[in-house]
Amino acid sequence: MVMTIDWTIIPDYLPVFFKGLETTLLISAISILIGFVGGILIGMCRISRNPLVYGISSVYVEAFRGTPLLIQIFLVYLGLPQLGIYIESPLVAGLIALSLNSAAYQSEIFRGGVQSISVGQIEAARSLGMTYNQALFNVVIPQAIRNALPPYTNEFITMIKDSSLVMTIGVLELTLRGKLISATTGQSIPVLLFVAVLYFTLTFSTSRILRYVEKRFAIPGMIGSDQK
Amino acid sequence: MTEPIIEIIDLKKSFGDNHVLKGISMKVFPQEVVTIIGASGSGKSTLLRCLNHLNMPDGGKILFQGHDINDKDIDINAVRTQMNMVFQSFNLFMHLTAKRNIALALIKVKKMGKAEAEQRAMEALDKVGLSDKADAYPGELSGGQQQRVAIARAMAMDPKVILFDEPTSALDPELIGEVLDVMKKLATSGMTMVVVTHEMGFAREMADKVIFMDQGVIAEQGTPEDLFVNPQNPRTKVFLRRILKEVGAMDPGIPSDFVPNGNGVHDKP
Repeated sequence: MVMTIDWTIIPDYLPVFFKGLETTLLISAISILIGFVGGILIGMCRISRNPLVYGISSVYVEAFRGTPLLIQIFLVYLGLPQLGIYIESPLVAGLIALSLNSAAYQSEIFRGGVQSISVGQIEAARSLGMTYNQALFNVVIPQAIRNALPPYTNEFITMIKDSSLVMTIGVLELTLRGKLISATTGQSIPVLLFVAVLYFTLTFSTSRILRYVEKRFAIPGMIGSDQK
Repeated sequence: MTEPIIEIIDLKKSFGDNHVLKGISMKVFPQEVVTIIGASGSGKSTLLRCLNHLNMPDGGKILFQGHDINDKDIDINAVRTQMNMVFQSFNLFMHLTAKRNIALALIKVKKMGKAEAEQRAMEALDKVGLSDKADAYPGELSGGQQQRVAIARAMAMDPKVILFDEPTSALDPELIGEVLDVMKKLATSGMTMVVVTHEMGFAREMADKVIFMDQGVIAEQGTPEDLFVNPQNPRTKVFLRRILKEVGAMDPGIPSDFVPNGNGVHDKP
């Protein structure tokens, strides 16, 4: 059976789409943020000279990077209750899984940024009497994060798209709302295309915003900064 | 007699099987300018880096103002604030302006207020002739200017000693002069300086003591007059003759007729 494409259902369901968009934005923003902070902490463990700290953080990164995000989501929502840990809200369970996963990826991005900084920067800071932590927070991290902004942008965009996986545990985000609307109306093409357009709006804005941040914080006289 | 500000006793350092320092003993007195010369790989930079523990020595003693800094109880950060280092590759903080490069350690280490630190930074920049570059980033400065900011950064900490690790080796020849001028001014002002350098003109003109290092030991030391005009160790002669052949022609500090003593018959490289 062929069904004529009816675009008018988009305005009809606009409030529902927007509710999904809101949830998607919320989940991605929070998990990106937690992943960012977690990524810095884990990344710092990964450059630690303490073998235990390095070992544990490495296992963490490899585990979350090497297994499907979907399995991780299921493990948090369906697996943890078997251990007596109940997470009532699928939204919270999804957030936890996405944050843990993103922290693993972002720790590698952070580590790459740190390793792009010459050891001379730390030596200069230390030779002025700064502690290791002072050198790290005042000299290394500000430069490392600047250098890592392009891969961070990649990761943020990936997170926005991958947040759709939490639909499988029943989080009413953009993809699940779209799927429900498409099932109700039978208008798969307009609905799914519109959902795709909404995702693209999110990812494209993210990329533009981060490009602006990159330019705004570019270090004058370095590659990539605007030459005056 | 005054006490030495730094006294090194039988300092040893190896990287794996590579014995870089094989028992170095030397003294640096207040207000002295000590230059360390020698071929690449002779251990000069490692010696300097051991002094403030950028490299950890394996053995021996480093007495700074009478206290052994290899002692576990010594706060190495406190030692470093009094013994700053100027690097071959400048190592300015790339994300900070010249002024903030200098102010950062004043704020974080010396716990100064921002305004006071920036004022101190401006004074230091003025001393190296770069007050007009206060708001420039390192990437916008020439190598010579970057190194002058790095010297200002060390000076602003008001240290007892400044260590210079080949401060002009990464510079284009036409930029070396401006850095040496700043260093000469600093030496004249009474700063204690330990300078690893290939600038024989600077060593000859400014040094109170020249140390020639060869294969991890001090092969010879003395006044510039002793070392440059009347070197005793055949290896010193070979080194001086070679380096003067390379740089002597463009080094205004070396008289054109200057030839180290020795006829060169039995000390071919």
